Amino acid sequence: MALSKIDISKAGVTGTLPVANGGTALTSGFVNGITQAQIWRVTANFTGDAQPIASNLEAVDTNSPGAVGSAMTESSGIFTFPSTGIWLITANGEFYYDGDSRYNQMIIEVTTNNASYSEAAKNSAGIAHSESTHTYSSASCQHLLDVTDTANVKVRFTVSVSNNSTTTGGESTYNRTHFTFVRIGDT
Amino acid sequence: MRDDGRPDHIEDALIRIHSRQWFTWIDSKNKIYTNLRLTEKVGVNGNLVDNTVTELPTESAVNAKLKELQDAWDAANGG
Repeated sequence: MALSKIDISKAGVTGTLPVANGGTALTSGFVNGITQAQIWRVTANFTGDAQPIASNLEAVDTNSPGAVGSAMTESSGIFTFPSTGIWLITANGEFYYDGDSRYNQMIIEVTTNNASYSEAAKNSAGIAHSESTHTYSSASCQHLLDVTDTANVKVRFTVSVSNNSTTTGGESTYNRTHFTFVRIGDT
Repeated sequence: MRDDGRPDHIEDALIRIHSRQWFTWIDSKNKIYTNLRLTEKVGVNGNLVDNTVTELPTESAVNAKLKELQDAWDAANGG
């Protein structure tokens, strides 16, 4: 017979069940859901490299609730986190060209001293021209970043393409090349 | 650019005039020539350097480039 109900008071169980499980109080290790999240995007197309992407960036402001919790801030392509914590960063790049481009890379670069950056994640996608017009590809990568100090731990994004005529897609009314920031826990 | 790839906006021309992030819009949701500006810096090899493009192309030059791209697309795709 399946067990459908336990009477805690008679089972010798101590403590409290978390709210999410039908109890009345949070346990000490229970994270109360996602509290900070935001998506940013590139707002204009460009060809060739951007090492890093330094302009034409905006927080998504159409068909979106905007930021959950406090917002990211950005200056010259450098993103600052609103709070410390473990952040999941996702970068998505859209590329197109009417020829071949052997690699088109989306790269997440991080710094822990607000000065020198290193590659934390990189993904490449090639374009093999098909039909007679533009052919698209996309590359995405993720990184978990431990933001222990919002003044020094920062992130930026780089695009590197093998064919300098390859275009990275950007738009200000929907997301093409875009970046997602989600705080998933404490540092 | 239309979904089929035919250039239909001045931004399609701008990206073929120079590479990198050399231009910006003062209103990104209203991409018209009068809202076009040069960026001050571009990212090159991990550094922000001065934009080597120091002068905006004229509106007629941008329109001419767009027409050139459209003509090329039409020739390759049957208009």
